[in-house]
Amino acid sequence: MTVEWISFSDLVHKNIKTLEKGTTHAEAYFTMTETTEVAVRNSEILTQNRLTDAGVGFRVAIKNKVGFSCTNTLTEKALINAGEKAVSIARVSAKIPHFTLPGPGQRVTVKKTYDPQIAGITVEEAVDVAQRLITAAEGFDPRVRAKSGRVVFQSGWRGIVNTLGVDHEEKETKAVLYLGGVGEYNGEVTGVCIDVEFSRTADISPEKVGEAVGEKVVKMVNPQPMKSFKGTCIFGPEACSYQIADVLTDALKGESVITGRSFWTGKIGEKVASEKFSVTDSALLENGFSSRGFDDEGCPSKDTALLKNGTLQSYLHNTTTAHALQMENTANASRFPSGFDMVRSIIGKGYRTTPESFPSNLVIQPGDKSKEQLISEVEKGLVIESMAGFAQKGSGLISAQLSQAFFIQNGEIQYPVRGGMVSGVAFDWFNTISGVGNDVKQFDNAVVPSVRVEDVTVVGG
Amino acid sequence: MFEIMEKSLQTNLARQVDLVQIRGQNRIITTCIVKNGAVEQFSSASLGGVSIRVLVDKKSWGFSSTNVCDVDNVEKTLENAAKLGKAASSLKKQEIELEPVKAVVAEVEAPVKNSVGIAAEDIVDIPSEAYKGAQEVGPEVKDVKATYIAVEDEKYFLSSEGARITQSTTRVMLYVDVIAKGAVICPASETLAHTGGLELFDRVTPYELGKKVAEKAVNLSHVKAPPPGMFNVIIDPKLCATLLHEAIGHPLEADLAMAGGGFGSQVGETFSSELVTIYDDGHVPGGLGYFVYDDEGVFCDRTILIENGILKSFMHDRESAALADVHPTGNAHAWDYSVEPLIRQTNIGIEAGDYTVEEMIENIKDGLLLEGTFGGQADSNADFTFGFQSAQKIENGVLTEEFRGANVAGNAIEVFKTIDAVSKEAVLRPGACGKYQFAVQGRVVPAIRCTIMVGGTGG
Repeated sequence: MTVEWISFSDLVHKNIKTLEKGTTHAEAYFTMTETTEVAVRNSEILTQNRLTDAGVGFRVAIKNKVGFSCTNTLTEKALINAGEKAVSIARVSAKIPHFTLPGPGQRVTVKKTYDPQIAGITVEEAVDVAQRLITAAEGFDPRVRAKSGRVVFQSGWRGIVNTLGVDHEEKETKAVLYLGGVGEYNGEVTGVCIDVEFSRTADISPEKVGEAVGEKVVKMVNPQPMKSFKGTCIFGPEACSYQIADVLTDALKGESVITGRSFWTGKIGEKVASEKFSVTDSALLENGFSSRGFDDEGCPSKDTALLKNGTLQSYLHNTTTAHALQMENTANASRFPSGFDMVRSIIGKGYRTTPESFPSNLVIQPGDKSKEQLISEVEKGLVIESMAGFAQKGSGLISAQLSQAFFIQNGEIQYPVRGGMVSGVAFDWFNTISGVGNDVKQFDNAVVPSVRVEDVTVVGG
Repeated sequence: MFEIMEKSLQTNLARQVDLVQIRGQNRIITTCIVKNGAVEQFSSASLGGVSIRVLVDKKSWGFSSTNVCDVDNVEKTLENAAKLGKAASSLKKQEIELEPVKAVVAEVEAPVKNSVGIAAEDIVDIPSEAYKGAQEVGPEVKDVKATYIAVEDEKYFLSSEGARITQSTTRVMLYVDVIAKGAVICPASETLAHTGGLELFDRVTPYELGKKVAEKAVNLSHVKAPPPGMFNVIIDPKLCATLLHEAIGHPLEADLAMAGGGFGSQVGETFSSELVTIYDDGHVPGGLGYFVYDDEGVFCDRTILIENGILKSFMHDRESAALADVHPTGNAHAWDYSVEPLIRQTNIGIEAGDYTVEEMIENIKDGLLLEGTFGGQADSNADFTFGFQSAQKIENGVLTEEFRGANVAGNAIEVFKTIDAVSKEAVLRPGACGKYQFAVQGRVVPAIRCTIMVGGTGG
């Protein structure tokens, strides 16, 4: 443990003690991170950043009225102020029905969530990784340009302590490689193609990511417009990790179920998707980007089946939503939910916010077919590697622009598509899934393969 | 904080590098979210820190930030920044030149009429009133979320060139999101936000805002989805704000343009209908993107970007301005102390035109009036996708049937060439942006008439 962390942790523990008086429950979530980041822009290294941040968020309850306050000033006085502020906010807050905090639980250890090599990374090493990323992409084909990318190495500590006896700390490391590239040919430019690698260890491959971008870009050369049709769409891992995972998450969140706005409210045990569709939440996944020993309220992590062969098994819960719905807590309290949220965009994540239910690693169970096999069975359709546009919360409506898609006819890819959109309700798509690939890829909160869906409306460009 | 920052500027290391820019910030954020009548989240965040950007060997930037603002840490941050700059300098092919600017010494404050420093109970009342307004609309209102946010900033900028700037800014925002369940589940949302204090609610009260959004959601939950295809459309100011910001504004940011975006670097060429004049202005009163100076210490001027369809200028920071040999436009902004400034829009606007919206509708035989926004995205080629909240069918110059929202897509440059009418009234709208980091911005927008692709799901 670093000296800074130990003294910070001591300060937080001391403060929680003082909050025992005058509150029903009190909790402190605290982190300390050091991030080294190299940005790539236009085939060159743009800047190198090193950011350090540490802070604590106090959540206190007076009966079940809850207040929250955070600070990144690490003095005793600032912590006392933040704690008092949380108490004064709790006094005027409305009651949150069923609000609870967890008590102490069995400690779980997850493999490969910390790598000392990341913690000790030098700027020079990070710059070298970024340079290899550019070289790999542009070396793949002379038409490829590395437009925008980043290399991130983060190491830090995460701790939680509450007045019910929860007291956990764990150190963690993360590495992210991201590159977006385009192809320049005959005065034309392809759309941006992206590849990513999310890892907890320094065992990463900028070459693989760079080459993948190069390969994607080259495939997008000479796109052709297509006419509107209804057919088969194979959503690649990237498309699944984004819009499709967003719809799943929104429908599975305990909070959505409590308000009744989840499309799957009251449907536990019912068939809501094709037999081929199984989804789990796996916080214990080895080297999983969002794996952890305890969730952001301090509950020991576990793996949870959410959909099994199309049948709804469980929602995603934190202590309060599980209590409200009288269901088993799945330990999905998260202070790092992705997806756009105005408040979190303004304040930030982690110690700066209260937790909500969110997947750790949302895993769509892979099938046994390769992507090529999935394609070979399609009469007329698309492979959609990436699409731009949001899924509408509640309804599951997705109408997205095709940013990287290929037209399929008679089991073969014919050409890359120029323009066009795909449009439909994801809950309908889940029922017409006709195949799941074995090409799983790790994203920040999802581990997903290609998913093939029948009867999708495609709008020509 | 100022003294500590000043001290690190006086160190030997600071004198050895080409340029040092130090930014400090104290930010207090008060958030109160009322969901379905209960205070779901009420929080106060006190966040501060210092960041240092240095230019070394005339060609490499290093940037480092810290939340611990004592002398030792700030000096360590300077050392880090210099080391980071050095680490890549041998790989940099070109020297970085910065357009020279006057080193400003100033203390400025954005005007606030009614302070946000009110009692906790009174803060709770603001989103609670919005909830009340929404909930009273009826039983089909299923989910109401009202979010109040106040951001108070005190920012410092010091540079080795002599700049010493202090800026205080207060921003207030109220977001209302409603989901209604009629024949279908349908969302609607609306935002009130400005740079200033609680006088934000003088014209529209939180209650009125809540009521308006809920009525919209309930109404839309009983109508069909719009038909897909290419349409003559009128885009209302709210949707126009998203289109302008995402698809025209971003390609006009010099960093994206120089990366080979849709506008290339063809100043003087025609990129849009001659009815269109577009500008960016940091000094729009109340605009959420109100800034007197940017995060390089440059005055945030009004910049004409497109004049009568002809490209006049990009939005610049000092580095891109030097490359383009123009004066920087005050568009280098960082979301907070912890991140580097990037080229961002402040308050982007379209000059109002000559038409009333009624006149614009009159000439459409078969088209749609698209209203509201659910946000969207665009790439540097100006290809965009974004959501609208609702639509009305136009048949022979008359509004006939209402539809739910869907997405529109296309290439903004192509779409802007088809503009054949701009409305008389331009409206100040709040906006937000997520280009590598977050930002709040303003948009000054009229309604426009053009041709666009709608990705509807209806018949």
